[in-house]
Amino acid sequence: MHKNWILFKVYLTAGTFTFSGGMAMLPMIERQLVNQYHLIDRDTLYEYTTLSQTFPGVIALTNACFLGKKINGTKGMIAAGIGAILPAFVLMLAATIAYQLIPQKGVIISIMAAIRAASAAFLFSAAYSLARYNLRDAASILLALACFLLTVFNLASAPTLIVAAAVVGILLSVTKRRAAKA
Amino acid sequence: MITIFLTFLKIGFLGFGGGYAMLSLIFQESETLGMTVQQFADLNALDGLIPGPIAINSATYLGQLYGGFWTALAATAAVCVPSLVFVPLYMHFEQRINDNWFLTAILDGIKPASAGLILAVALSLMLLTVFGINGLGAWRSAHLDWSSLLVLGVVFFLDAKYHVNPVWLILLAGVIGAVVYYL
Repeated sequence: MHKNWILFKVYLTAGTFTFSGGMAMLPMIERQLVNQYHLIDRDTLYEYTTLSQTFPGVIALTNACFLGKKINGTKGMIAAGIGAILPAFVLMLAATIAYQLIPQKGVIISIMAAIRAASAAFLFSAAYSLARYNLRDAASILLALACFLLTVFNLASAPTLIVAAAVVGILLSVTKRRAAKA
Repeated sequence: MITIFLTFLKIGFLGFGGGYAMLSLIFQESETLGMTVQQFADLNALDGLIPGPIAINSATYLGQLYGGFWTALAATAAVCVPSLVFVPLYMHFEQRINDNWFLTAILDGIKPASAGLILAVALSLMLLTVFGINGLGAWRSAHLDWSSLLVLGVVFFLDAKYHVNPVWLILLAGVIGAVVYYL
């Protein structure tokens, strides 16, 4: 089988069967690209996976682009990239069209209200796990708290806060590197 | 369509650190595009039902709601641009920028920030679904909806503690909603 076709197929199946995106698809990718088709070794796969999480943009797509490019150049990158986003695009398009057709009356209003409450719960849960894994010291707790309060009271926009947080991250890291050298 | 394309281009380039960091950007940007908090809550629920990255799902949803198929395609393409730019660039200069400490440093700042940002979005959704108000400023007209509070509590507990598949949780919420209607 041609490499591009394999890349497309592997990312397409991984994208179809992984919910909430991100690197949940990694085990499936590893099994197929490393064990089944021997297109790449495990260490390189993990190296690029870690790397793709540090870049801006869609992590799963960045990962597909890195491995596709590594395995078969620009054509491989495009094949893997399309495979990675196609399932999400097609399925979400179908879901949105179906959603637009749902009549908003009677019992459906009540069902939708409950689902929206569930939706809020998912975000609280996401905030909880982000906090649990990333708030390790006073600086990070302060940063999270500042972002929360500034957003709630409409004092700063999300893009501003993200840029500011990136600057804080760099400053903290520079200070730590200075301290390590001294 | 051009507005949506540019919006998702911006979201993509600012979207460090995964889907939930991007979701808080999407929440604010979608408000300026005229999306209601209800529609955003529905987007987040659909995201739990449909496989794929949050950013792709959101771009497709917003595009489809505001302009149909081609706008959905344009929004999705826009959010893909950063990957297509940075991957070839990095591969080209790989030897020279092996020490990418600044990328890790940026992420060290953005990860905690995104926890705070997404908590603020969660609060907005809770104010709407449980108290029926848009933002803290409207607290005078708040009224407590017990069934929504119950759903929120139960779903949060099952998701955070037992990682139950979101598809089941959304079904459960739907069933509670239907039961409450006929009570």
